[in-house]
Amino acid sequence: MAIFEKGTVIKTEFGAPIEIVSYIAGGGQGDVYVVNYNGKRKALKWYKAGVMRDPDAFYKNLKRNAEHGSPDKAFLWPDAVTEHRDGTFGYIMDLRPEGYYELGKLLGSPKYNFKTFKAATDACLKIVSAFRILHNNGYSYQDLNDGNFFINPDTGDVRICDNDNVAPNGTSTGILGKPRYMAPEIVVGGGKVLPDTNSDRYSLSAILFLILFLSHPLEGKRWLVPCLTDALAEKLYGSEALFICDPKDSSNGPVRNIHTNLLNRWGFMPDYLKDMFLKAFSKEVLFTPGRRIAEVDWLKVLVRFRSDIVNCSCGNETFIQNAATTKCDRCGKNVVVTNVLGLPAYDMTAAKGSRIYRCQVGICNADEALDPVMAVVAKPTGELGLKNMTSLVFNATTPSGKSKQIAPQDIIPFIPGIKIEAYGKTVELK
Amino acid sequence: MPSTDGVIIKKVLPIIYVIDTSGSMSGERIATVNAAMRECEQVLRDKASDSPDNELKIGALTFSSGAEWLTKTGLVSLEDFYWNDAKAGGVTDLGAALNELNDKLSRSAFLKSETGCCVPVIIFMSDGCPTDSWEKSLAKISAENRWFASARKIAIAIGEDADTDILKKLVGNVEAVVRSNDLETLQKLIVAVSASASMLAGKSRLANDEASGGEILDNALTEVEGDVEIEKDTAPVDEPAPAPVDTGDGWSDDDWS
Repeated sequence: MAIFEKGTVIKTEFGAPIEIVSYIAGGGQGDVYVVNYNGKRKALKWYKAGVMRDPDAFYKNLKRNAEHGSPDKAFLWPDAVTEHRDGTFGYIMDLRPEGYYELGKLLGSPKYNFKTFKAATDACLKIVSAFRILHNNGYSYQDLNDGNFFINPDTGDVRICDNDNVAPNGTSTGILGKPRYMAPEIVVGGGKVLPDTNSDRYSLSAILFLILFLSHPLEGKRWLVPCLTDALAEKLYGSEALFICDPKDSSNGPVRNIHTNLLNRWGFMPDYLKDMFLKAFSKEVLFTPGRRIAEVDWLKVLVRFRSDIVNCSCGNETFIQNAATTKCDRCGKNVVVTNVLGLPAYDMTAAKGSRIYRCQVGICNADEALDPVMAVVAKPTGELGLKNMTSLVFNATTPSGKSKQIAPQDIIPFIPGIKIEAYGKTVELK
Repeated sequence: MPSTDGVIIKKVLPIIYVIDTSGSMSGERIATVNAAMRECEQVLRDKASDSPDNELKIGALTFSSGAEWLTKTGLVSLEDFYWNDAKAGGVTDLGAALNELNDKLSRSAFLKSETGCCVPVIIFMSDGCPTDSWEKSLAKISAENRWFASARKIAIAIGEDADTDILKKLVGNVEAVVRSNDLETLQKLIVAVSASASMLAGKSRLANDEASGGEILDNALTEVEGDVEIEKDTAPVDEPAPAPVDTGDGWSDDDWS
């Protein structure tokens, strides 16, 4: 219900005017408006009075976040906090762009499904990348769920909203999280165990699984009880949490004709990706918060998976296996892989647009994980080249043994046998 | 590559309205309830159609001289939910309504689902005192029917004559009874309670929250705040309804009726 009329002016806590333009929507916590602020159209979230346990601490935290500034452009971060009015307040953030929908809608309605697996993978990469930066800045998000992400299902681009519970890791805003997304230790904690970076990482794994498999990682056979009471939910998502694909214990496994999304997709996915989910939802990791998968490890497998999704001439996305020619599962023709990049850990398909990221070549720190190192480019004739995307000079050896240097932005022809030294490791063109 | 089409599988969230259509409800009262239910059609479709959390299904049971389901064939999904106006007349056979609930809240009746159900929400609305042996029926359904015992129950008392003590016994939770004395507020309240019930699963939880009829009502009341005619009854109930059956019984899939 709108409380502010069009044209009403409220102020930021430092006195800048915010003019109400229109009402967008309301929810349990408050309402959202379109406003004019600092010459731009922005969104104003205005809290209902009395919905917060400790409004002063909440306000202080929000103000601190606004002052520190957004850690990444994916976040619809608080720009400024408002003055108090009628016992409550709000904050200004960017508007959600057109064509972006809540992740919940993408999962819950066929109208909003991801167009392609590449788009779904890109969404995963953007989400992981944003949380890597958030966590590295010392924050925890605390309430990661399918309502926090606005995603463009065609491109996989992501905006992250509801950043009002983001707080320095280890502090609490009173929020526990959304059922089905809370980490097991929070579910069984009876309100005494509060979210942190580790619990964020559980929720993040669940979201990645939901996006790629369109299934919840813990909602297997046991979830199919006639009535999921609160007591049973506490076991399912908490004290007895068990991965639907657990290789050693099938008591919560998928059921034919019900868990069709999972059964259709699991077999198609490459082992390195499945292994990461098996690890993320192993009993050990589920019940040892400190062992949760770090963002950089997700980035490594997601970047690899992205390079393995190649379009067949029939239009079908084919998941290339072992960087080798793979039969299209729709038309049966071979998707031919002629060029391969031999990375230190595995071979990667090289096609126009393929990129090698820093996390794929040797040890790196989390901040630089997604920095592009090399990119595969193509001439109009289709001839491939490899471009140095860094500001470093790389040494290369030709097949005949000659040494050459590749300066920043230089492109070399894609000739099998060339070996490039980068970050103390070798990348071989095959 | 597998298809990118599809939706996540969902459990059914039953929302069941139990509406007093006795003679005292005739005229403006029943007209208001009908108007509110028509509004609910749209509001629930808007809020819950694409929900990834559950699939809403609606049931409606009326009681006057006897009890009758408006959704005769079972719970209906949102796209098939069209409100047919209820008519008022007769006495207040609450016990008959409870017997009907006892009969249909079962996996072999209205709660049949491949993926199972979430805890049902039951919303009672009444403006008077029951005229039949409702206490016997309440004792029976509370003891026999685990769906009823576990349900998140809310009662809306319509007008000053409604007996809130009885409604408290019915819902077994003093925090979940609310009285509305004016009709405009009543309409808003029915819609807000319905919307709040449909969204409970999608709401982030705070420390010490409890998903209950009381919470559904509290969330709804924040939507209709400022209406002085709403009176949330917080007085303790003299004789508490039987405690819900403990359902933390492992992963058994015994019939719940």
